[in-house]
Amino acid sequence: MSASIEKGINALKRQVDSTVAAFFSSCVHCGLCAQACLFYTETGDPKRTPINKTEPLRRIWKSEFTLMGRVGKVLGLTKKVDDKFLEEWQELVYDSCTMCGRCSMVCPVGNDITMMIRKTREGMAAAGQAPAGLIGATTRAVTIGSPMGVKWPALRAQIKHVEEDTGLKVPVDVEDVEYMLLLSSMEIMNFPEFIEAVAKIFNRAGATWTISSEAFEATNSGIQIGVSDIAAELVQRIVDVADKLRVKTVISPECGHAYTAIRWDGPNLVGKAFNFKVRHILEVLDDLRKEGRLKMASKESQKLTYHDPCQISRRGGVIDEPRNLINMVSDNFVEMPDAGKMNWCCGAGGGVSANERADGLRLKVFERKKAQIDAIKPDAIISACSNCRIHLEDGLEEYNMDIPLLSLTETLAEHLAND
Amino acid sequence: MTEIELLSWARGPGLQIATIVFVAGVVIRGFEILVLGRKANLAEAKGREMSSGLKTMITRTVPDRTTFQRSGITIVLGYIFHIGLFVICFLSAPHILFLKDIIGFGWPSLPTAIIDAFAVVTIIALLATLVNRLTNKVMRYLTNFEDLLTWFLTFLPVITGYIAFHRIGFTAPSLLAMHILSVELLLIVFPFTKLMHAFTLFIARWYNGAISGYKGVAS
Amino acid sequence: MSEIGNDTDFRAALESLDEGQQRKSAAFFVQHVLHLSTDKRLERVIRTVADADATKEELAAALKLAHAATFDSHARCGAEGHWSDQAGYFVARAAVAAATPVALARAGGPAWQAAMSARMAYTSMLIEDAPNQSAHTECEWQYQALSDFLNA
Repeated sequence: MSASIEKGINALKRQVDSTVAAFFSSCVHCGLCAQACLFYTETGDPKRTPINKTEPLRRIWKSEFTLMGRVGKVLGLTKKVDDKFLEEWQELVYDSCTMCGRCSMVCPVGNDITMMIRKTREGMAAAGQAPAGLIGATTRAVTIGSPMGVKWPALRAQIKHVEEDTGLKVPVDVEDVEYMLLLSSMEIMNFPEFIEAVAKIFNRAGATWTISSEAFEATNSGIQIGVSDIAAELVQRIVDVADKLRVKTVISPECGHAYTAIRWDGPNLVGKAFNFKVRHILEVLDDLRKEGRLKMASKESQKLTYHDPCQISRRGGVIDEPRNLINMVSDNFVEMPDAGKMNWCCGAGGGVSANERADGLRLKVFERKKAQIDAIKPDAIISACSNCRIHLEDGLEEYNMDIPLLSLTETLAEHLAND
Repeated sequence: MTEIELLSWARGPGLQIATIVFVAGVVIRGFEILVLGRKANLAEAKGREMSSGLKTMITRTVPDRTTFQRSGITIVLGYIFHIGLFVICFLSAPHILFLKDIIGFGWPSLPTAIIDAFAVVTIIALLATLVNRLTNKVMRYLTNFEDLLTWFLTFLPVITGYIAFHRIGFTAPSLLAMHILSVELLLIVFPFTKLMHAFTLFIARWYNGAISGYKGVAS
Repeated sequence: MSEIGNDTDFRAALESLDEGQQRKSAAFFVQHVLHLSTDKRLERVIRTVADADATKEELAAALKLAHAATFDSHARCGAEGHWSDQAGYFVARAAVAAATPVALARAGGPAWQAAMSARMAYTSMLIEDAPNQSAHTECEWQYQALSDFLNA
């Protein structure tokens, strides 16, 4: 990935379309977006105002795509986009934003600021201004197939363990099945019980499924760093294998940005509609529930709440499904304030947790989540994103709060009925 | 130039120039946006774009609870002066007469006393908005020359209109000329500033609703 | 007590143990893989768990320490993952399970959870160190260990 400021500027130019132009034309500097962003509310630093993060993109839009801007450029009145400026903005575009989407929901003139920040990352990355941790993750994703360096033999070992534990077979590289399950490196390394849970549930429901040894990685580092070409390459690997195995539905696991990447960005990245459906594991489980193929034998007794992973709920559209599923397994489910599409981000998504420089900031902004949790004092928190889980646990530990994080899929598998 | 000549110019050539620049400017800005287009979405839709887009054009007018709790002052002041401007511009007798000359028909106006009250409230709200912009931490950081210029160009017609109506200070023709000239100044600068949001916000809101609606999220 | 040869019997046997016995067996499962972790705190945790006279407060403190060990050892999303480090993560998770009271444990009870995580630790070590795999598997050792414990 050779980088330069020229590449950066060109990348930004390519990002400008009618939506970007409409959004920048409409911004009136009201500052409401800041109040929706946990990186502002928990730090009080106005430079973290969401629309401010898009300044590199705005300057290019103004000087290249507006009459007055072009006139200004000729007169030498344009604000420059150079290495120094982008370097200063790196911390705002990457460390201070998880692309959670809350700002886009509150902007009174309707700006999808999140989308603009995502586009701004394209320019930053092309100019060589992405954080080292993300560059490393992306390089590993491209060369090894996983941002954390997880190779097939490692997954195969985990699968073997799962098979021993459950006594069930985990189908690998099987053709013409209903579902192909993707996995995030985080799940493979930290939460392999997820694979067990899916195996048990699918076995009981009689669903046919498989994992591919050639393309199992769900995490898309290209989306996080903001390099569409890389994001497209990672998606294409999945598409090739899904087509080869002729699966009907590709399942995105409990990882937030993986869902955004494959479900909503995927076809647009590779330039072609998919021949298969893409569903989040929660959507699949909810379908099974509706068809009567998912039954519980017992319930959780502790007071539960649900943390909406931003990319799955607000940016993904999977808001009701987790609630339907939790209600199957709990009579003591309490929503936190602002639950649902306006829920607050955990603070770790969109590449923030892969960026060591952002550690302090990440723990600071967790206080927003803490406030929500303090308001209802649950016994446990359920979520459906491995990164949210780890980060929430980290944050809770930092504040000496002893509240376990549970995976929704794993919880359902634990209470699965035996018939 | 006598004050009568000034007034004639303002009502005549001045108005024509301002109107042409305004209309041409708005059309150019609109064109600049729409000509860029956007790529078709190849992902499988979960909801509907068009209905969600149209809905958001209206529903985004209402802030969500948490945003209102945190930014109440900005929101309330904003609504007061926007509504005030609308009432003054379109429901006051002199303005309706002015528009009737141009478009051929008019409509009932609100009583003078009410318009006057709206004018006073709007003036106060606009002043408060400026104070808010300069004291609110986030707004102060974001504020640039254009923000202050547009505030000034919006405030000027309201204050000159109020003064002209109540004949404070100068003679009537001068006051009226100042008011009309201030409006013409606003019209000329309008298309090249964030004031374009008056038109473009509908496009922006539609896009926002469409993007969310595609994924099945109510925006 | 007949020899345990499969997971169904293994799990059933563990679930039938009382709290004290569960803790003890969980402790020796974790003890067996402790060398896969570089976190010295886990030795203290297991010592407390294995102590039949440990008070509730001491166990709670041990649980907290084990939790801290998991946070310090888990793979970060996007960071380069090292399976040898992951082994340490699973040892810490096994310690967490061992120190968790029966009432709050996940399905199967503390001893079963500890055994599972201990196996994961061993699996993780094998992933990194595949050419040096020894013939015995962790679960076989666990069956034997439990049988010996029950027969004692």
